Amino acid sequence: MFYQTSTRTFMLITFTLICIYVAFTADYFGLEILTEILILAMIAMALDMVAGFGGMVSLCHGALAGVGAYAYAVCTAKLGWNVPLSIVLTCCFTGVIAWIIGAVCSRTHGIYFIMATLAFGQMAYSFVFESAYLGGDNGLSGIPRLDLSAINIDLFDSRNFALVCLFALFCCYLFAWRILSSGLGRSLVGLMYSEQRSLAIGQNVSRIKAHVFGLSGLILGLAGSLGAQHIMFISPNLLMWTYSGEVLVVTILGGLGTLFGPIVGAAAFILLKHQVSEYTNYWHLAVGIILIAVVMGGAKGLYGSLEAYIEQRLRSRSSTSTNVISEEE
Amino acid sequence: MDTGFWILQFLNALQFSFLLFLLSVGLTVIFGLMHFVNLAHGALYAFGAYVAASVAASYGYWAGVFVAPFAVAVLGLVLYQFLIKRMRSSGPMAQVLVTFGLMFALLDLTRIIWGDLALALDVPASLSGRISIFGVEYPLYRFFVMMVGAIALIMLNLILARTQIGAMIRAGVDNDKMASCLGINVERLFFIVFCVGCALAGIAGAVAAPLLSVVPEMGLEILIPTLIVIVIGGLGSLKGAITGSLIYGFVQTFGAVFAPQFASVVIYVLLALILITKPNGLFPSRGG
Amino acid sequence: MLEVAKLSKHFGALHVTRDVTINVKKGERRVILGPNGAGKTTLFNQLVGVFSPDSGTIKIDGKDVTNWSVEERAKHGLSRSYQQNTLFDGLKIGENLALAASVNTGHSMSMWRDSLTTPDVMAIVRDTAAQVDLTHHLDKYVTDVSYGIRRQLEVGLALATQPSVLLMDEPTSGVGPKMIHAFHHVLKRLPSELTIVIIEHDMSLAFDVADSMTVLNQGEVVFEGSPDEAKSSRLLQEIYLGTWEDA
Repeated sequence: MFYQTSTRTFMLITFTLICIYVAFTADYFGLEILTEILILAMIAMALDMVAGFGGMVSLCHGALAGVGAYAYAVCTAKLGWNVPLSIVLTCCFTGVIAWIIGAVCSRTHGIYFIMATLAFGQMAYSFVFESAYLGGDNGLSGIPRLDLSAINIDLFDSRNFALVCLFALFCCYLFAWRILSSGLGRSLVGLMYSEQRSLAIGQNVSRIKAHVFGLSGLILGLAGSLGAQHIMFISPNLLMWTYSGEVLVVTILGGLGTLFGPIVGAAAFILLKHQVSEYTNYWHLAVGIILIAVVMGGAKGLYGSLEAYIEQRLRSRSSTSTNVISEEE
Repeated sequence: MDTGFWILQFLNALQFSFLLFLLSVGLTVIFGLMHFVNLAHGALYAFGAYVAASVAASYGYWAGVFVAPFAVAVLGLVLYQFLIKRMRSSGPMAQVLVTFGLMFALLDLTRIIWGDLALALDVPASLSGRISIFGVEYPLYRFFVMMVGAIALIMLNLILARTQIGAMIRAGVDNDKMASCLGINVERLFFIVFCVGCALAGIAGAVAAPLLSVVPEMGLEILIPTLIVIVIGGLGSLKGAITGSLIYGFVQTFGAVFAPQFASVVIYVLLALILITKPNGLFPSRGG
Repeated sequence: MLEVAKLSKHFGALHVTRDVTINVKKGERRVILGPNGAGKTTLFNQLVGVFSPDSGTIKIDGKDVTNWSVEERAKHGLSRSYQQNTLFDGLKIGENLALAASVNTGHSMSMWRDSLTTPDVMAIVRDTAAQVDLTHHLDKYVTDVSYGIRRQLEVGLALATQPSVLLMDEPTSGVGPKMIHAFHHVLKRLPSELTIVIIEHDMSLAFDVADSMTVLNQGEVVFEGSPDEAKSSRLLQEIYLGTWEDA
C-alpha cells in the first residue's frame, strides 16, 4: 500500500531544494540537464503508478508521453490555439488514449500485457511516422512555450523553464499521492497482490486497471507537452519502443513501487548518460549492463534499497517480542 | 489490376510470412517450454545476418548461410549458461528487463565488432534470376526464402509430432514439473530447444540479409513484428507461430496495397481485437 | 435463497457435476460432504462463476445468476472462502479486510477518499475482526503470521463483504484441533440471516454445525437430509470407508 512516509517527504523536500539550488547556480548546459531529468522523472513516476502499484508493466509509457508531445504540438503549432488550453487538452487527450489502452489490455497478464502495451506504443509510432500532417520522420518544429509575460516571467529563460518543470513534477507527485491513497489506489494494490481475490470480493478489475492507466496518462500528457516545449521540436523517435524501455529502466533503477524512486532513477540515468557519452559512443552497452546488473542483483533500485533498509531498521526496533507462533498446536 | 499483380502480392506476403515464421517459431517454443521471454531474439537474428555477411565476403554466400546458425547457436549457448539459466524462475518483468538489457548490449557489441556502416550480402549467382510461378516471374531468391521457411515448418512439425524428443518437448510444454518427474531431463531439453531457437534466428538473419541492409538496428526492427506474431498466434505452439506469421504477412502486404497510410495501424487494430476476445492468442499451447 | 437446479458440467469425458439440484433456505447452514474427487470444489467454482456450467441454473435470492461474472455475483451478495489461502499477501491483515469491506460501502473506486480510513469501512473491519478473532492482529503483515491466523483471515475476507450467501471451502483445512474448536465458535456467532454452505471434511464440526447435509459422490447428489438421517444412512457408511464415531 502507498503511504507517504516521513522518509519520502524528507526526500521530496530535499530534492526540491537541491533542484532550486541547481537552478540558480548552474550554467545553461546544467539547466538543460536538469530540465531533462525533471521531465523524465514525471514519465517514470507515471509508470511507477501502474507498474509498481498495479503490477502493470507498461512498455508504452514513453510513447504515450510522445503522443502528448504531438497533441500539444498540433494544438499550438498547427492549429494555433492558446497554450494553457492546449496543455489542458493534451492532458485530457493523452489520458483518454491511456485509458483505452488500459481497458483493452486489462484482460491480459504477465508477458502478454507487456507485449500488448509494446505493440500499442508501436502503433502510435507508426501512425506518427507515416503521417504527413504530423511531419513524418522530419518531425514538427515551431512549438511555442507557455507565455507567462503577464506575470513578468520569461519562459524562454532556461532557468525559469526548469523551475516550471520542477513545479509540474511536484504537482504530479501530489496528484499520484492522492490517487494512490484513494479507494481506487487501494483497490489497485489489492489486485496486484491477488486478482482472483479482488474479483471474489466484487471488484471490477478491468475498470480499476483502465482508470489508473488513464490517470497515469494525464501525467504523461503534461510531461509530453513540457517535453515539446523544452526543445521546441519533436520527432517520432519519442515514440520508439526503446524509449519506453528506457523509462522502465529508469523506474527500476530508482526503485519500483516507491513513487519517489523513479525521480532518483531519472537523475541517475541522465547524469550517467552524459558522463558515459563523454568517454564512449556505446551508451547502449552501458545501459544494458547496468540493467542486467540491477535486475540480477535483486531489483530494488537505488532509492528502493535505501527505503527497504530504513524500514527494516524501524521494524526491528519497534516490534515487541510478540509470539508469532500460533497458540494452537 | 491484373491477376499477375495479385499473384505477386500473394507471393510477397507468403515470403514475408515464412521469414517471420523462422524468427517467431524459436521465440514461441522457447516461451512455451521455458516460460522465458527473450527480447534479445531480434539481436540474435541481426548477429546471424552479420556473421553471414562477414563470412560470405571471404568464402561466398553458402558458407555464410551455413556458418551463421552455428555461430548464433554458440552465442545462445554462452548466453544460456551465464544469464538465461539464472533468470528462468524470475517473473516476466525481470525477464523482459534482463533480455532488454541484453538486447541493448548486443546492439552495441555488433557496432563495436562490425562498425556502424551497413554491410551487404549479395544474392548468390545460383539463386539470382527468376522463376515462373502461377504465370508470374518471381525472384528466385525470394522463392528460396519461402522454401527455407516451409522446410523448417515441415521438419519441426515432424520432429514434434513423430519423434521421441518431440514428445518430450510437448510434455515439457504441457507440464514441465511432471515431465521431470517422469524422468525427462528437462534442463537439457530447455538447453537444446534454446540453442535450436537461436540457430533458427541465425538462419532467418542470414537468409534475410540479401533482401535488407545489414545494419545494427535490424534486430530492433524485426522484434516488434515477431512479438506481434506470437501474441496473435498464441505463445508456445507451432500452429500459433505459422498462423500468426501468415496473418501478419498478409495483412501487412495487402494492407499496404489497399490503404498505404493505414497499413501499419491495421495490424495493431487486429491485435487489439484479438486481445479483447482471446487474451491468450489464437492457439496458445495451454488452453485459451 | 440459493437455488441450484440440474447443474451439469463435464470436462471432456469426465462428468464432474451431474444434474445437481440443491436448495438452501435463507439462514440455513448446509454442509456438503463427499469423498475426494466428488466434485465439491468444482460445484463451488460454478456457483461463484469461475466455471460456467454446461446446463442448469443458479439463482441467488430469486435472481438467475447463471451467466453473471464472478464480480457481479459477489456484489449481489455471494461470498466465498477458498480451500487454499487466497489473500492479499503483501499487505497487512487490517488492509486485507478493509479492501473487502470497501466494495459494498462504495469506496473501492473513489478517487478521493481513502477506503482504508473511512469510518464505514473501519467499522466493518472492526466487526469482522471481532467475528474471526483477528482484533489483535490487524497491524501485522500476512506474511508475518501463522497459517492458522491466515486461515482466519481467509474466512474474514469472505465475511467482510457482508454477504447474504457465504460459501466456505474446507475452512479448517490444515489447522489443528484447537483451532477447529475455535472456528466452531466463530460459526455459531455468525448472523442467523446469513445463509452458509460449507464443504467440510471434519466430521465432528460438520455434524455440530449443520442444519442439513448434502452428500456428493462422483458429481451427483446421493443424499440430502438432516444430520441424524445422515448418521443412520447405510449408503453413506458404504461410500465412506468405515463409519465415524459419535462426537
